[in-house]
Amino acid sequence: MDWLFLAEVLLAGLGAGSLYALAGVAFVLIYKATRVINLAIGEILMLGGYVFFGAAAAWHLPAWIALPVAIVAGALVGAVVERLLIRPMLGESPISVFMVTIGLGSILAGAVQVIWGADPLRLPEFMPNTPIFIGDAYLAPKVAYGFVAAMLIIVAFALALRFTRSGVALQATAADQGAAYSVGINVSRVFSLSWIVACAIAAGAGVLVGAIGGISPTMGIFGLSVLVVVIVGGLDSMLGALVGGLLIGIVEAFSGTFLGGEYKFLITFSVLIVVLMLRPYGLFGRHEIERL
Amino acid sequence: MTRKLTRRDVLAAGAAMGSGLAIGIRPLAAQGADIVLGGSIPLTGVFAFAGVGIHNGIQDYLKIVNDAGGVGGRKIKYVAEDTGYKVDASVAAFNKITGQEKVSLYYGDSTGFSKTINPELERRGTILMAGASFATELNDPKKYPLQFMAGPDYSEMFGILLRYCAREQSGAKLDFVYSDTEFGRDPIAPSEALAKTLGLNIVEKIVTPPGSVDVSTEVLKLRRANPDYTIFHGYVLAPIPEFMTQAKQMGLRSKFMGTFWSSDNSTVQRMGDVAEGYMGVMPYRYYYDADGNSPMLEKIRQMRPEYQSTAYLQGFTTALLMCEAVKRTLAAGKELTGVNMKAGLNSIKDFDTGGIFGVPISIPGNSVSVGRIYAFDSKSKQMRPASDWIRLGS
Amino acid sequence: MRIGTLKTDYAADEALFDTGLQKCLLALALAGAVLLPFLASPYWLFLACLCAINVASATGLNILTGYTGLVSLGQAAFMSVGAYTVAVLEIHLGTPFLLNLLAGGLTTALVGIAVGIPSLRVKGLYLAIATIAASVVLHFIFSHWALTGGVQGLSMPPARFFGVTMDQPFQLYWMIMPVTMLMVLGAANLFRTRVGRAFIAIRDRDISAEVLGIPLLRYKLMSFAVSSCYAGLAGGLWAYFFRVVTPESFPLVNSIFYLAAIIVGGMGTILGGILGAIFMTMVPEVLKFGAGLVTPFYPDALALLAPVRTIVFGALIVGFLIFEPQGLAEIWRRIRRFFHLWPFKT
Repeated sequence: MDWLFLAEVLLAGLGAGSLYALAGVAFVLIYKATRVINLAIGEILMLGGYVFFGAAAAWHLPAWIALPVAIVAGALVGAVVERLLIRPMLGESPISVFMVTIGLGSILAGAVQVIWGADPLRLPEFMPNTPIFIGDAYLAPKVAYGFVAAMLIIVAFALALRFTRSGVALQATAADQGAAYSVGINVSRVFSLSWIVACAIAAGAGVLVGAIGGISPTMGIFGLSVLVVVIVGGLDSMLGALVGGLLIGIVEAFSGTFLGGEYKFLITFSVLIVVLMLRPYGLFGRHEIERL
Repeated sequence: MTRKLTRRDVLAAGAAMGSGLAIGIRPLAAQGADIVLGGSIPLTGVFAFAGVGIHNGIQDYLKIVNDAGGVGGRKIKYVAEDTGYKVDASVAAFNKITGQEKVSLYYGDSTGFSKTINPELERRGTILMAGASFATELNDPKKYPLQFMAGPDYSEMFGILLRYCAREQSGAKLDFVYSDTEFGRDPIAPSEALAKTLGLNIVEKIVTPPGSVDVSTEVLKLRRANPDYTIFHGYVLAPIPEFMTQAKQMGLRSKFMGTFWSSDNSTVQRMGDVAEGYMGVMPYRYYYDADGNSPMLEKIRQMRPEYQSTAYLQGFTTALLMCEAVKRTLAAGKELTGVNMKAGLNSIKDFDTGGIFGVPISIPGNSVSVGRIYAFDSKSKQMRPASDWIRLGS
Repeated sequence: MRIGTLKTDYAADEALFDTGLQKCLLALALAGAVLLPFLASPYWLFLACLCAINVASATGLNILTGYTGLVSLGQAAFMSVGAYTVAVLEIHLGTPFLLNLLAGGLTTALVGIAVGIPSLRVKGLYLAIATIAASVVLHFIFSHWALTGGVQGLSMPPARFFGVTMDQPFQLYWMIMPVTMLMVLGAANLFRTRVGRAFIAIRDRDISAEVLGIPLLRYKLMSFAVSSCYAGLAGGLWAYFFRVVTPESFPLVNSIFYLAAIIVGGMGTILGGILGAIFMTMVPEVLKFGAGLVTPFYPDALALLAPVRTIVFGALIVGFLIFEPQGLAEIWRRIRRFFHLWPFKT
């Protein structure tokens, strides 16, 4: 057995998994606060990538400005979507809300094509390009920096959730909306905030994903893998998104290496089916199944 | 939602619907003397980058022909519909166009469409079809008697690449990287057999799932295989650049190659710095190629001063070959049926396309099996010839 | 104004079509459907067939989602099972098409039952995701199994019926339209039976349904079976219609399409499934027509068509869910009510 090879595959898997985890955290945040399954998360990722592209390539802004521009754009989209599409659906059946997000994804994918066209594009290089070797094991620099960035954001986010006022308000809302409201938490502000922050995170994740694989209007398919991640990890668990993301990343890397790329999707979704049958609430999710 | 529905609204709606139906089912358009080239063109969707070029290419060539008086005194009329690169939309477009016009020539947008429509083509027997697909399967005059492609099929492209590899370095190690789609898998099996006969050694085959973006693990496999040549197929752009970037960072010495749809100059330019040395197989001269004698490229450059993609050339050449087939059929005094036009097309032998193909071509079957290897030169930002024209078969 | 709907027995009260006007309209529609192939151009016939196939599939999904309350994003995958079954039978055995269609429906029903098994364990969104997973697995099987022709798929000969080769929209119409009508009629009747009412009870509150003595697992699986049988039949029709079946023929977005169709049409009504499927099938055509009109003034209109189509698709889903959650069927009811109350309420 070639241990070096295994180590490299593992590292690559962790790198990919960290991006899943990051997008998964955005997904979980929305679910926790508003109980909305946001299937448009992949498209918001895509939008982040495209806005970065537009800012960096078309307006020739440097990457350190373009990145915040993309994140702010994501936040704006989040705010608008929450106010215009999600708020009116409050109290409707969760399936309806979930279909609204599917429709939203379709709208975003179309809008991106209207503005930037259907061709796949590459983001301008903005990360250092020197190869990274951990011991003898090679790690693609973009993947490595992606991993570091994703982990930093997740940790910062977890801390904010724990120690800031808004974070605590969010946790309270997630636990019980009525109780949170009665102790003076502005629940609708929490709803807005969760969408804004989650979409900002997703847009940022989109820039990282786009930097590695390029951007195209079909990038929203990434959202499917994220869905697997959060189901496996548990819909309402941040820790679950992190562990699930890394796990799925590693599973994909190993199945891609030893079985072939065509098996990647099959294996991840098989994992999903097994988890659904054995632990429908995921590895770390709260033990309740929503009746939708 | 608050506006009340009045009777007038309902009547108006009814009238509108009625008139819409009336438009829909009006009798078929009268037959004109024009020869109609119909097209299911992917002006939108994932293949739009090529579709727009193809669309322009066909129009430009027909303009040249029609300005010169048409074919045998008959003008060629181009009727196209957008398909979004979806088979059912392509079939719908085919039905619509053939329902409204007497179509003799048709351009199809995908392998799936070419296969789907084939029985219908044979049933009608009045249409000669070509398309954007270079699928190996379509290059079978027995199964697809009324179709052709304006270039080598994907296996023949691989054949040209493999011959080049064998010539450059005997016993070279090869790695095929392809997508898990019909497009990607098309040439793999025949090319493996061919590689064996050429004494080449396929050390690894890497399949990527469609739409996959992160190729880190695949590159690790590539590194283990450490090939001399890596051939990509089934992609347009992503994930080729990422493959090359990471492979170069790892210090791999492999040369990288691609097939028709990933060898357009603007596509390769978009790969960035790593594109240096990237090789592609191309049956045509590039738009800017001024080396050989190519009056047709001159004309194109006059009509369109800015760079035109190889998809444009593909559409242009397809229209050119179609018109040539029509011309030969009319010259022989035969009726414009699919079989006659195909016979006219197959009678093309050592034919000069005005320098678009670098050498005179023959079309004994469904494909034009000739091509040349180009390599990207990052100084001039152009694909430059890296080999002579390579002819297969003959 | 509707008058004279006097009913003298229970049979009349329970009848599917209870008024004379309804029967008249139905007869008119039927006559229209019979006459259409003789009047319309092949292109319109093509669209009519496509609409009919989509109606069949959407009705099937409506049974599962609209009436039983189980969300599925696997309808397109179920259709592919039917389509492949039909194609394999037609290619290898050459059996009559009606038999093939039935076999397609039954095979798909079995697959549907297998996919539905998690439905007792998980509900709602989790179930929807389980059906996505099933779609992925089915896609993998079809693109790697020799019998189904791998990624290249299968090309099949046309159906034959008493020596007539059915390869034109005109002939296919006579296969597709009657089958679809029978299926829709069957669905409408299903909900006048014990089984259909059990489905509705499960949708409205599954625990109460169980208390009432409805075995949940059995009925949920039955709903899956019926629904996927419909999908399989529709897939079989699709296969005869296009005569090429590839793994890419039934992407996930088609499943979303059918779900969107019943949302736009109106969930839990037969009329909704019909209206929604026709509406969603025609929208792209209308857009294409519109683009054709705009092209002289704005030459790039055609290039914007696909993204605009995607946007409109999404906007329809969102718009209907927010502003008209009961769908087109509700709009239809409103129009009907207007005429019923006509001279009195203006």
